[in-house]
Amino acid sequence: MTMRARVSVLVCVMALGLSAAAAAHHAFAAEFDATKPVKFRGTVTKMLWVNPHAWIYVDVKKDDGTVEEWMIEAGTPNTLLRRGFTKESLQPGTEIVVDGYQAKDGERRANGRDVTLPNGKTLFLGSAGTGAPDEKKDEKK
Amino acid sequence: MKLAALIAVGMAVALAVSLTGQAPPPRPSAASATQPKPYASPKTPWGDPDLQGVWNDATSTPLQRPNGLKDVLTDEEAADFQSSLAHDLTRDRRDGGADADVNRAYNDHWMDARRLKITADKRTSLIVDPPDGRIPPLVPLSPERQAVRSSRAGANQRFNAGLPDDYTDMSLPVRCIIRTDSPPYLPTIYNNNFQIVQSPGVVAIAPEMIHSTRMVYTDGRPHLDRGISQWLGDSRGHWDGATLVVETTNFRSDDGVVFQGANPATFKITEQFTRVGPTSINYEFTIQDPATWTKPWTALIPWNKVDPEEQMFEYGCHEDNFDIVHFLKGARSRQKNAR
Amino acid sequence: MGARRRFVLLALIAPAALVGSLAIAQTPAYRPPHRPDGHPDLSGIWQAFVTANWDLQGHEAQPGLHPELDGAYGAGPAGQSIVEGGEIPYRPEALGKKKQNFATRAKVDVSDDKKWHALGDPELKCYMPGVPRATYMPYPFQIVQGSNNTILIAYEFTSATRIVRMNWTQEAPADAWMGWSRGRWEGDTLVVDVTGLREETWLDRAGDFHSDKLHVVERYTPMSPYHLQYEATLDDPTVYTRPWKISFPLYRRLEKNIQLLEFKCVPFTEEMLYGRFRKPGAP
Repeated sequence: MTMRARVSVLVCVMALGLSAAAAAHHAFAAEFDATKPVKFRGTVTKMLWVNPHAWIYVDVKKDDGTVEEWMIEAGTPNTLLRRGFTKESLQPGTEIVVDGYQAKDGERRANGRDVTLPNGKTLFLGSAGTGAPDEKKDEKK
Repeated sequence: MKLAALIAVGMAVALAVSLTGQAPPPRPSAASATQPKPYASPKTPWGDPDLQGVWNDATSTPLQRPNGLKDVLTDEEAADFQSSLAHDLTRDRRDGGADADVNRAYNDHWMDARRLKITADKRTSLIVDPPDGRIPPLVPLSPERQAVRSSRAGANQRFNAGLPDDYTDMSLPVRCIIRTDSPPYLPTIYNNNFQIVQSPGVVAIAPEMIHSTRMVYTDGRPHLDRGISQWLGDSRGHWDGATLVVETTNFRSDDGVVFQGANPATFKITEQFTRVGPTSINYEFTIQDPATWTKPWTALIPWNKVDPEEQMFEYGCHEDNFDIVHFLKGARSRQKNAR
Repeated sequence: MGARRRFVLLALIAPAALVGSLAIAQTPAYRPPHRPDGHPDLSGIWQAFVTANWDLQGHEAQPGLHPELDGAYGAGPAGQSIVEGGEIPYRPEALGKKKQNFATRAKVDVSDDKKWHALGDPELKCYMPGVPRATYMPYPFQIVQGSNNTILIAYEFTSATRIVRMNWTQEAPADAWMGWSRGRWEGDTLVVDVTGLREETWLDRAGDFHSDKLHVVERYTPMSPYHLQYEATLDDPTVYTRPWKISFPLYRRLEKNIQLLEFKCVPFTEEMLYGRFRKPGAP
């Protein structure tokens, strides 16, 4: 096999390997369905700052006017806290765009592969006052 | 560029191997050449070397050296590798097909940014012995252990297909029984933090995930008697100069308790913690299990002190582990609908 | 003094003395040795011997959840109240929730994420017990008093861990099962201020509870080389009419080579929580 071919094969392995890398974190493919990509815009109703996963509850208005509630699986809040974000970073009422994959069981649950603000800015980078991890330093000790 | 590609690629393989399964000896000569001169560690008021603080071990250096790679990179190669790696790891990528994409589960804000760097000494593997930087070959396993491994493989298959039969089809970490807290400590994608607190006769090591503190007694007491086996084993330490040497025994015999499915009855792990600088600890571990590997092997992982203003946070796991139910309920409804 | 007056005086004093809580008995004043930093060393393994984990208030012995199966094994002992004044000063509207908690303490249903914590005593489910409950559970805990302004407290029950940050001003960044602990010394007493507690923890198996506004202030005072006096004040205006206090001694475990052992109870709860989702026919 040529070097180039080896690289392309192993890039895929890396992508899978790195998620398995989370000290036996569950493989997301076990829960989310690669054949069910989702992309929608909704309004945050609440965020659960819990481990092992934070959850973002989103109300999505469908074309027929009905509202569906989705649960978006996110990462560990501990890492966000260390980056200077707080429980207040994502306020209810914020509109977000979710791009991810739906749960295999068909429930209204998806992994938050990309969660952005409607203007395209990545969530937690675009929120007011939470751009820099250094920001919180003055408040400590 | 070619070298960086080779590294990135090999690293991917090594990570995939090492992190689904796992993972120190005399340092190779290249590393010795870059060894700092001995550092006079600060001491606690009672005279022990002071390891206290919050430490982070995130790194992208793989446990095992990618095949055909040299053991230490030059500065330029290291910089090249890190920028390649940052590109490869970014979740902004959408290539590789849906199956690869689904595993880029959530964006980088949830990841430990420190993991993008290789270790400061630019080694290409965390393993330092054997000199090839790779876990030694397996010895032939007994039929009983083969059967256990097959059974575990079957459970993993069902789980990865999203169709676990039962909570026992999920691994111990997914069930929130043990995670990073079980030795050896290996870097992962986030929460790579450890807090060490000392008082006379004991060194308490608290990993962030899950939340169990390992008490390393240095007061000379014997290990627990054999009738008591524990998920994290039983640790005893002594000071060898500036190094805390830790021996851990009394591991439980449940499947998956010890590293890479090694045999708890014959598994031995020795760890060494040495303060090598104001913000550095060298964490080294040697694993041996003649019933699993042909020879012992050793890895060296630097721990970096985090800003004193940063903290570890609680990592409750079982308390809000909704996913266990998602996996099981999901499997039941899919199986029901398939009929 | 006339007999009648003596009688009246006694009648006034007696009730207060009779309806007491299990306060610390008087011991001679103790001056503990100090570490070089000028503070006592609270390191060691400690345990409470009150029965408050069953019920903070005065209680009789009671059968277990399944007496037809586990007879005296499952039963709970009697105990005197550790609450100063005897009773927890609930707001009248909060008492209903306590009763409901007790009635459903052994019911679990995790089939709906939104109602994950609605039923069942968190202890039953092997969730971290919070503060102050972790202190009076019938398991030992270990204080490791560091020399870097950090005190670690490790609890045998589910290997829960608390970090007490000395003289720390940062507020709790997010709620935690074991809360956010900031400590300081007042003379020889370690005072720990605990906020950011998850509202889902209970105070005992009797259903005593709090809200996310709970603020606990603990005091650990050496009474002898082998005892600490433990006091905790609980303040939660949404649930109680006023702050209230518990107190009891903590005893140093003196057995040779005593150490905390593992009580990793998650495996003991999985069948109860998740067994119902097993594939029909699977072993």
